[in-house]
Amino acid sequence: MAKIQLSNISHTYNPLDLNPTYALNPFSMTWENGKRYAILGPSGCGKTTMLNIVSGLVKPSKGNVLFDGNDVTNLITEERNIAQVFQFPVIYNTMTVYDNLAFPLKCRDFSKEKIEERVKSVSDTLRLSSFLNMPARKLTADQKQLISLGRGLVREDVAAVLMDEPLTVIDPDLKFRLRRNLKEINEQYKTTLVYVTHDQNEAMTFADNIIVMDQGEIVQVGLPKDLFERPKTTFVGYFIGSPAMNLFETQLSSNNSVKINDTIIKTSTNLSKLKNNNLKLGIRSEFVKVAKDESENLVEVIIQKIEDFGNFKLLTASMGSLTIKSKVNRETEIPAQNVKLYFPADKCCVYEDNKLV
Amino acid sequence: MNFKHKYIFLFPGLFVLIGILIFPIIFTIRLSLSGWNSYTPEMNFIGITNYIRLFTDDPRFWESFFRLSFLSVSTVILQYIIGFALALMVWREIKFKRFFRVIFLIPMMTTPVIMTVIWRTFFHESLGPVNDLLGHIGIGPILWLSDPVIAKFTVIIVEVWQWTPFMFLLLLAGLLSLPKEPFLAAAIDGASTFRKFVYVTFPLMAPISIGAIIIRLIEASKIMDTVFVLTSGGPGTATETSSFYIYIKGLREFQMGYAATLSFTYLVIMIISLTIIAKVLTKLMIKE
Repeated sequence: MAKIQLSNISHTYNPLDLNPTYALNPFSMTWENGKRYAILGPSGCGKTTMLNIVSGLVKPSKGNVLFDGNDVTNLITEERNIAQVFQFPVIYNTMTVYDNLAFPLKCRDFSKEKIEERVKSVSDTLRLSSFLNMPARKLTADQKQLISLGRGLVREDVAAVLMDEPLTVIDPDLKFRLRRNLKEINEQYKTTLVYVTHDQNEAMTFADNIIVMDQGEIVQVGLPKDLFERPKTTFVGYFIGSPAMNLFETQLSSNNSVKINDTIIKTSTNLSKLKNNNLKLGIRSEFVKVAKDESENLVEVIIQKIEDFGNFKLLTASMGSLTIKSKVNRETEIPAQNVKLYFPADKCCVYEDNKLV
Repeated sequence: MNFKHKYIFLFPGLFVLIGILIFPIIFTIRLSLSGWNSYTPEMNFIGITNYIRLFTDDPRFWESFFRLSFLSVSTVILQYIIGFALALMVWREIKFKRFFRVIFLIPMMTTPVIMTVIWRTFFHESLGPVNDLLGHIGIGPILWLSDPVIAKFTVIIVEVWQWTPFMFLLLLAGLLSLPKEPFLAAAIDGASTFRKFVYVTFPLMAPISIGAIIIRLIEASKIMDTVFVLTSGGPGTATETSSFYIYIKGLREFQMGYAATLSFTYLVIMIISLTIIAKVLTKLMIKE
């Protein structure tokens, strides 16, 4: 187990170009021992590059990687003591499940008793005990993925287990069980787990800390709640949550309110320092309510569509050319005409140049 | 669907198939039942006399067949080992990678007959450079072409030189098509180079290896030009292979009927043995 520090890391895959395109822009970050992290972002945003820099499969163009304060930037993967699970299960086809799990220990010359003890412990946790003597290639895809994971966990001293979209090949209901399994493992072994995914639900349910990335940039690091309620950029608002955050072009109206078309919306943000260029108002569809007796922050809309998702209803409404989405309880009565939607002031986020004020 | 005219459209294909495959085989079978030779050049019918002669009174054919088995199996094994080693060498990022890849392919691009003439000159026992060089360090002279045992190895050397590039090409293509992740995983697990080869590279390459070995075995079994030019089957019959023996019977002694018998028997044996070899290799290497 180790604390992992990435200091001033940046990476480009074509360092010889005059103006190289950076897969990762310079950043610094610390991963605490024993925590669960998820790296979330669309395809091609640099998630895998970041992971490979930590595991040593990619050497960063600039910056240093430190494990517990020791610089490991120039160490190759074998010497870094890291475990990585890939998108597709990687197993040694010619070996049994037992030998697969024991392989990392055998390569490091552990004693037979020690290997047996560790393999037993890990196979119990992953519920692979009954397959130990079977050839690994006869197992199903998700069991194979468990073996890949098990090879990471079998080394007690491993600095962190890195996972690159490990549940892609696995059935949805099994995914749920495996995520819980991973959490248990994290609690039992206190292993630092880093999990790369483009699926926000996976990230939200798995991690203590979510790192959102976009185009080689770390956009926001935080708890699932922060990402949901106070997205730092419009990208995070758009990327996280389903449906995406409602975003409207807006003008400044006073120190704490903005104007959409001619409707004044109060916010709980101090807007006095804004220069009034490229302002946007963002609010989650979960917080937009059908107005009952509220007197301000109301927008008059025309309902376009009501979709019933079973546990909630999704309203699509329009105000002039703007579209507003609202998630409401299925019991909510929706008037036929003169519908007003209420925007709670404390849930309104104001963005200047796509960054949260 | 009942489309009566489909045979019209199938005909060109069927015609080619019958013309180049079925007809020659049937003709060979019929020929093998005749006594066609230079005295009686006609398609008479003598029953299975030729086959009785082959199985009771022709040890030379069987000797040449076992010699062929030895030569083809040993050359293909050597080609596989050397070809795999060369492919592994230029697979990873090394300097002058492209240069080596082209260099290793050159023997395959040359004409076997011409190259064999050059090799024969190399190995000429009194005038060739090989014995001359060996003489300088006090070895030899070695009877490259006139010693019954050494001549076999000379043939093997030339064959391996000529055809290793083909094996190299197939195996390199195979290596380049392998997924990256298993190697990364092995690196993370801390596997040594040897372990990586045994548990990752070799198992992943097994299907391609089997394909390459079978293709080369089929090719190697037809060995003819090398033997013809290098030793003409000599000394005595020490390097005579099945195809060369069939050539002698058919085109030098003009025993066409008997040569057809040999050819057909050879074909049947090859089909059966290659099928068995393919099955055994699959069992050994893939373990499914």
